[in-house]
Amino acid sequence: MSDPVALELREHFATVEQQRGTADTGMWVFLMTELMMFGGLFVAYTVYRFNHPQAFAEGSASMDIMLGSVNSAILLTSSLTMGFAELSAKLGRQRLLGILLLVTILIGLAFLGIKFTEYVEHYQQHEAPGVWFNRSGPHAPAVQMFFVFYFIMTGLHAVHMIIGIFLILGLISRNMIGSLSAAYHTPVSIVGLYWHFVDIVWIFLYAIFYLPGLHK
Amino acid sequence: MSAPTWKTYLFTYLGLLGLLLVNTLIAFLNLGGFGTVIEIGLATIMACLVAGVLMHGFYQMRLIQIIIAGGVIWFLIMMSLTMNDYFTRGWLPFHEG
Repeated sequence: MSDPVALELREHFATVEQQRGTADTGMWVFLMTELMMFGGLFVAYTVYRFNHPQAFAEGSASMDIMLGSVNSAILLTSSLTMGFAELSAKLGRQRLLGILLLVTILIGLAFLGIKFTEYVEHYQQHEAPGVWFNRSGPHAPAVQMFFVFYFIMTGLHAVHMIIGIFLILGLISRNMIGSLSAAYHTPVSIVGLYWHFVDIVWIFLYAIFYLPGLHK
Repeated sequence: MSAPTWKTYLFTYLGLLGLLLVNTLIAFLNLGGFGTVIEIGLATIMACLVAGVLMHGFYQMRLIQIIIAGGVIWFLIMMSLTMNDYFTRGWLPFHEG
């Protein structure tokens, strides 16, 4: 089998370390643009919550804290398996790498499954914004805004999860054809950065959508 | 700082689960506006653990650490200036024309 390092080292880099450092830097710059994108939504949410605190507490009280907490733990677990996958790649343990990447995908799918269940519940309880929304009370319009933020922000997060799953599928296929090794495992680190970032976004989504409704 | 090991990841994960539990339990208490500050504070600590250990932020070269700091500071500027506008909008009388 040909040397994976020689195959993957691009001509404008002197060493694979230099190539890895450049890839890391580029990925972090990309993640900071992601931070700005989600950040804009977090700022908008904060403005509306300051203007309508009771309505947002009312909307948050409709969240299923059990499903939200379990999903948070599930996503943190997927970050652990992704971290272990990165270590396996670094040590050249290809079989373990494949298994851990597969487990990460399965955990990610479990997260999405639970999220979908929550969406269905909200739809059935007429909490989905738009023509489906049906709630009475003085705060109803602002409660609808809470759900607008909830669906847009968690939906955008879910889209990132789906992209992450496809990226990990790509890693699994590269691992199977032998293009990853202890000497060259940059793609695993880069996808890992993306996956962990999506985890960070969820940590804040959980704090702003699920927890405010618990205040007694 | 030396690169993280299996054990580092495992302890970080357990710490994250612990913080998640604490954050959820604290949310059941009536702490007023202070409750939100604690929730966001604990979420920030969790985010720092993920970014620092799992994403190797603590172990990266200085350039990447500056990029991370730049992104976070830029976000905080966006948040603080926007909120500053909304908080102070009613301070001055509005004269039409």
